[in-house]
Amino acid sequence: MSLYMSPKYKEQVLDRKRWFEWDYKWFWGSFAWVLHRLSGWALVFYLLLHIWVIHHLSRGPAAFDQVMQAVGTPLFKVLEIGLWGVIVYHAFNGMRVIIVDFWHGSKYQKQLFFIVLFLFVVLWVGGGIIMALHMIH
Amino acid sequence: MSFKSSGNSGAFAWFYQRITGIFLFVILLLHFTIMHFTGTGEITYENIVGRLSDPYWKMLDLSFVVFALYHGLNGIWMAIQDYVRSEGWRAVIYTILVLVGVFLFFLAAVTLIPFGLK
Repeated sequence: MSLYMSPKYKEQVLDRKRWFEWDYKWFWGSFAWVLHRLSGWALVFYLLLHIWVIHHLSRGPAAFDQVMQAVGTPLFKVLEIGLWGVIVYHAFNGMRVIIVDFWHGSKYQKQLFFIVLFLFVVLWVGGGIIMALHMIH
Repeated sequence: MSFKSSGNSGAFAWFYQRITGIFLFVILLLHFTIMHFTGTGEITYENIVGRLSDPYWKMLDLSFVVFALYHGLNGIWMAIQDYVRSEGWRAVIYTILVLVGVFLFFLAAVTLIPFGLK
């Protein structure tokens, strides 16, 4: 892909108001989009760490159980419940993005976002309770 | 200098982002369910050995790693294209993303493939 950027592109795409500017005008779709991007960054950060941690399997049972113990403290368990929330949001909003892209869903993007938020709350709370119960036992 | 990322307009990256997304939707939710909901919550070497010695699980996990790395790093690249205008910095970041992807795939492959074969 050539990275040449025409003056028109620069004006219409690059110089428009950004979501992190104080006078950006928010709407439901931009809210969904920003959450999707932030959760995406968080998930990539987690993925890289996760592969690094799990690769200790190749160093045998002692090394693996040792590293798992290090990430098995209550702090990490609570963070894992947060991770579950981030996953659920990104997964279901991702499905919303696909519906919007492929099935003229832009008509219903706002309603679809409310469905995503509903599923996010239900699944995060439900899964969080199960994980919290595992933590206690 | 015109830095070339993939020799196309980005349409393939856009399309594959959705394809891998659908795959990850299924496999990641399954992965998390098996690891955190249906099990005891205890993840030990012994618990994992059995699954990873099975060639089907091994293939599934390897494709999981490939799809997740592609989806994640391509997502970062899409965000970078929104914010970074300098072609030099784009080239540097793109190279880093590719190297990180290759390195972590290598780590995952040397962990998964020999499992149960020794």
